Amino acid sequence: MKTEPELAASDRIVDPSLTVPGVTATISGMILDPPRPKLWLLGFAIGFLLVLALLAAVSWLFIRGIGIWGLNVPIAWGFAIVNFVWWIGIGHAGTFISAILFLLHQSWRTSINRFTEAMTLFAVACAGLYPLLHLGRPAYFYWLLPYPDTMGLWPQFRSPLVWDVFAVSTYACVSLLFWYVGLLPDLATMRDKAPSLLGRRMYGVLALGWRGDGRHWSHYEKLYVILAGLATPLVVSVHSIVGLDFAVAILPGWHSTIFPPYFVGGAIFSGFAMVLTLVIPLRAMYGLKGLITARHLELMAMVLLATGSVVAYGYFSEFFTAWWSGDEFEKFVNANRALGPYAPAFWTMLACNVLVPQLFWSRRLRRSVPVLFVGALLVNVGMWLERFVIVVTSLHRDYLPSSWGMYIPTFWDWTTFAGTLGLFLSLIFLFVRLLPAIAMSEVRSLVFRKGKVS
Amino acid sequence: MPSLTPHSPANEFPDGASLWPEDLDRREFIKVMGASLALAGLGSCGRASKALVPYVVQPGEIVPGKPLYYATAIPVEGYGRGILVEAHEGRPTKIEGNPRHPESLGATDAITQASILDLYDPDRSQAPLARGHAASWSAFEGEWLERRQVLLGVDGRGFTVLTEPTTSPTQRREIHRLLDRFPRARWYQHTPLARYDSDGVQWDCDPGAADVIVAIESDFLHRHPAGLRYARAFARRRRVENGGIRANRLYALEAGWSLTGAMADHRLPVSPAGLRRVLDAVSGALDGNATDRDSDLTPDERHFAGLMATDLRLHAPRVLCIAGAEQPVEIQRWAHAVNHRLGGAAALERAGGAIRSDSDPRSAGGLGELAGAIDRGEVSTLAMLGSNPVYTGAADLDFGRRLAAVEYSVHLGTHRDETAAHCRWHLPESHYLEAWSDLRGFDGTAGIQQPLIEPLYGSRSHSEIVRLLADGVAVSDYDLVRETWAPRADGADFEEQWGRWLNQGWVDGPAGGAGRERGTGFQPVLSPNPGRMPVPRWQTGAPARPSPTLLFRPDPVLADGRGANNGWLQELPRPFTALVWGNALQVAPEFAAERKLANGDEVRLEGEGRSLVVPVWIVRGQAADCAVLHLGGGRSRGGSLGTGRGANAYAIRPQGSPWEIAAISCVKTGGSVELVSTQHHFTMEGRNLARSLNLRELPRQARDPGPAGSLYPAWPREGHAWGMSIDLSTCLGCSACVVACQAENNTPVVGKEQVARGREMHWIRVDRYFIGEGMDTRVLSQPVPCMHCENAPCELVCPVGATVHSSEGLNEMVYNRCVGTRYCSNNCPYKVRRFNFFDFRAPAESTVHLQENPNVTVRVRGVMEKCTYCVQRIDAGRIAAEKDDRPLRDGEIRTACQQACPVEAIVFGDLADPQSAVSRRKREALDYALLGELNTRPRTTYLAKVINPA
Repeated sequence: MKTEPELAASDRIVDPSLTVPGVTATISGMILDPPRPKLWLLGFAIGFLLVLALLAAVSWLFIRGIGIWGLNVPIAWGFAIVNFVWWIGIGHAGTFISAILFLLHQSWRTSINRFTEAMTLFAVACAGLYPLLHLGRPAYFYWLLPYPDTMGLWPQFRSPLVWDVFAVSTYACVSLLFWYVGLLPDLATMRDKAPSLLGRRMYGVLALGWRGDGRHWSHYEKLYVILAGLATPLVVSVHSIVGLDFAVAILPGWHSTIFPPYFVGGAIFSGFAMVLTLVIPLRAMYGLKGLITARHLELMAMVLLATGSVVAYGYFSEFFTAWWSGDEFEKFVNANRALGPYAPAFWTMLACNVLVPQLFWSRRLRRSVPVLFVGALLVNVGMWLERFVIVVTSLHRDYLPSSWGMYIPTFWDWTTFAGTLGLFLSLIFLFVRLLPAIAMSEVRSLVFRKGKVS
Repeated sequence: MPSLTPHSPANEFPDGASLWPEDLDRREFIKVMGASLALAGLGSCGRASKALVPYVVQPGEIVPGKPLYYATAIPVEGYGRGILVEAHEGRPTKIEGNPRHPESLGATDAITQASILDLYDPDRSQAPLARGHAASWSAFEGEWLERRQVLLGVDGRGFTVLTEPTTSPTQRREIHRLLDRFPRARWYQHTPLARYDSDGVQWDCDPGAADVIVAIESDFLHRHPAGLRYARAFARRRRVENGGIRANRLYALEAGWSLTGAMADHRLPVSPAGLRRVLDAVSGALDGNATDRDSDLTPDERHFAGLMATDLRLHAPRVLCIAGAEQPVEIQRWAHAVNHRLGGAAALERAGGAIRSDSDPRSAGGLGELAGAIDRGEVSTLAMLGSNPVYTGAADLDFGRRLAAVEYSVHLGTHRDETAAHCRWHLPESHYLEAWSDLRGFDGTAGIQQPLIEPLYGSRSHSEIVRLLADGVAVSDYDLVRETWAPRADGADFEEQWGRWLNQGWVDGPAGGAGRERGTGFQPVLSPNPGRMPVPRWQTGAPARPSPTLLFRPDPVLADGRGANNGWLQELPRPFTALVWGNALQVAPEFAAERKLANGDEVRLEGEGRSLVVPVWIVRGQAADCAVLHLGGGRSRGGSLGTGRGANAYAIRPQGSPWEIAAISCVKTGGSVELVSTQHHFTMEGRNLARSLNLRELPRQARDPGPAGSLYPAWPREGHAWGMSIDLSTCLGCSACVVACQAENNTPVVGKEQVARGREMHWIRVDRYFIGEGMDTRVLSQPVPCMHCENAPCELVCPVGATVHSSEGLNEMVYNRCVGTRYCSNNCPYKVRRFNFFDFRAPAESTVHLQENPNVTVRVRGVMEKCTYCVQRIDAGRIAAEKDDRPLRDGEIRTACQQACPVEAIVFGDLADPQSAVSRRKREALDYALLGELNTRPRTTYLAKVINPA
């Protein structure tokens, strides 16, 4: 084993003062004896109120029809698809951190992987609502599934929307499995620690009889690697297929071969931004600075810088291709994005997604928590705007000027969006309250190994 | 005639019958229920007062599911136009032109198409109203009998009848009869629209016979009682066939845009004052002294006048000048004089006087004269039949106030309109599809107007009421019309001739009058005859700094406002603005820039002591110092759809000069309203979408090669291959196709708010693009239905296979399978797909459902829809051919848009048959596919527009 060089305190991914029992106590303490319960309650209440707003918006949608949104012809896709792509993108960080970084032996992932996996699941849940809600006749959503019906009707497999159904549902299943398998040892810890009978029973059932046996660990680690291997291609496939939803169309601004890789880059970019947005308040609230260290934040900022560059390249490539192709429609769409009625969205997007990550060339700024937090928030906004720009500005002025139109989101568009933000927030708050937000078993092993090294 | 009155739920219970009294307690309830039970039992003891006949043995001609067609006639500004009406089980559903009627030639316009909806208008007047309260016919009849006795005693002094001018022999006969019965009664006529005779002459023309046509503020191709005939003849000279064309040249002088102006090869936007200067210069040039007043003209005007004068001289006598019917007499005289002088072979002068009753010697005048008579106290009893003078009367007449001074007023109308509200009695008038009458076409052809259905409500027809007023007894209009025609029958067998007239839709033989045999009634102006009619000259000075002129024009679809409660018409985009559900003051960009106006900004118009606040809409290619306002907006009692839509132009319209106010002040108020338009961009952004080319380039025109071949083998074709060709050279942009499609395919009306959100549902639309600058500004109209692409982008992306390709090349929409992802619409480069964002169907109990075509599915919320190439018509044709065991004939299947088109711009047929009309058209070099470079391989292609400037 290679000897690791001595790291400066700020470069460590685990606080050297941590002990194995200390790790368990800190993390299980978040649930058993939560600090600042009022703050938690406040956050959860905000999220839950927004969930109620979502319920109202969806009910009204089902009663009145899709016309309550600002959609029209030509802009037949609006907030629903923008938000779908945005949420799916956010859902990418979890699997990327859990699977790819695991396979690459990036041990710094251990203290954030559980949390980001949960975030992934919740983001995918939010995303998954939209394709159903945006149907004109949502009751028939299952016609997109290949099931044997008496009329011999199947989905139309050439349509990327069908691929989407498979990609997103597979991703959701594998992510859930991966997350749950990873939770097993910790659920057992919680079972053992829980003071109440109810807690012991619930964690006990969920722990599936985990006893920390050697054979358990052996099977567990094999399964975990296999699942990581399965999840890795999904990181690439899901957002590639979401990219194909657009790229398969002949619409200028959508019909672009760069979309699949550019969407994957953008997804990881937005996912890491969301992780930062959530982790920074979390570590402050629960005093986890020893577990999620400045080094973690710095590493995530570097991922932002790298994936941000991929996104910037995507933008550049779109413009270059439009100019190089000489296609008047492509050229127009790009000019219209920069100069047309939605130009503010475009320029804000460029500032958030291209300029903001450039800050992270500086080591000092990478380590500044306020800068990181604001930067991550801006990237979230920028990536949402990117999807808005792709969906709306391409549609609103396409081939025939006679059919050009404008998209103005309605109250219900905004309410639905805010509602899914609330749903996401509520689920996150429930998660940190009920399940270990940091993988205890993995951190314990890390602390143990670090302890041996030093 | 089928006489099945459809179930009309609106009539079933009197208003309020279903309301539960608030003070009803439990005991009362039990009592009522007990009584109801007992009486319900008793009811079965009685006998139905009328015999009910079950539909066991069906009438011979009625086969369920098989439509029947009846010939009848629709009044168009009083003139008759022959139509065929489709009826399903006794329920009229669709109007087509009568190919054998000279004023239809098989075509229709948008207003005719939409008139079927008026029949089922839920806001129609359904019962007589006495001072606004529901009353019965017998109450009116009883009251009138007394009144009539009094009037008879004074020879009818004070008895006044106001009608619209009509061509109906029966209506005229009945009014003359009434005037005979009441010798001192007076008959006035009122229409807010133009009259078509001047100097005692009704002019007609054959635009097909002219090489050069000059249209002076004339929309003779569109807004004219003979517009369909003119447009057909004009289009004959604009169509490229086998690469050849014998093109005429059209000059248009007009302040605002008309569809005729949009067809012109040279169009001069010019104010009324400028118009006189230009005509004067042309007169001078025709006299040979070209320079005498040229200095007064702007360079554009001089150039235009020079071209026009040269062309007129060069092509005499095959020239034609037409002045708009709204123009003052001196302009009309100028046009007629030029026709005389140059021997206009295409102009026809009617020998027997005017066909419409405007100049009937027994008529006492118009609304102005009636107002004078009221002021002098000469009117005690006023019957207003089929006219709405309170709304359409000029502002200075203030007719509503004058009407209040009339002791006894009766109004007959289809709606409880503005006039109805001011009258002692309002009587419901039958729709023209419910009444017997007769009408003459603009060329004099007589036709019997036969009803398709018994009156839905207790309404009566115009001639029935005149007879009732005259005699005090009700006689059916059927008998009245036969009374007119029986003596006119040729020989003894009236019944045989009557049957034939009804069957064919026009009256033949000597009884039919002048019209049918062309040239019998109208004399062409053949020999040059300068002495007979001198060309008028004007002493006009150089243009002064002009204050703007306000021009009034009939609304292109609502006419004088009578179409206001018709949803199809309100939602039909107006030409050049695409505005729906309301009008606006149309101004040139220079006009707007000078006053810093944007679309929707309100201005206060002030002229002749009256003012009106109206929003503006900017239109390129209009005379800079003129503003155009359409009549027909701002109705105060226009029905649930028609009330308060747009601005009421009548509020500032002067009686003395009904078509223009020469000097008006136009001041921005600072307010602004949302005007709703279906098209927001009127330029092509440099894209080659609606194509046009100069006639001189035609021989060199190479066929658009389209995209190169595919790597994949062609899809095997079997059987028919449906396709369509749309000729932009002849398309007027009149939108008859749009309404015809709406009527055929049960397309819903979505309302102003939904159109504002971009959710209109038309399956075919007319795109308009402005090209060129200044005097070369042109408008290209391009009808866009579904292209039925062979490589349809919509089919590829539908996840459930709800839009699929048929073996005959139709791009089909399976409503049942659609889940509403709307991806197909996003991927359609033509944006012809329409989505049901809400449930756009009329309420279940609405009478408008009676209009629906039973062969077309009514779509539910959340599904996509679009043009089907009228697949129900294709199937009907196929079934008919199979039953006869014969192949389908070319032209047997016609789409609704094609059938309505006045200029035969749309041709549909089988591309697999190389001899079909559509295949022949597609072989023209001008044929091109819209956005063909996308390799969608559309089955609908266009023929580029050929223009023929000098």
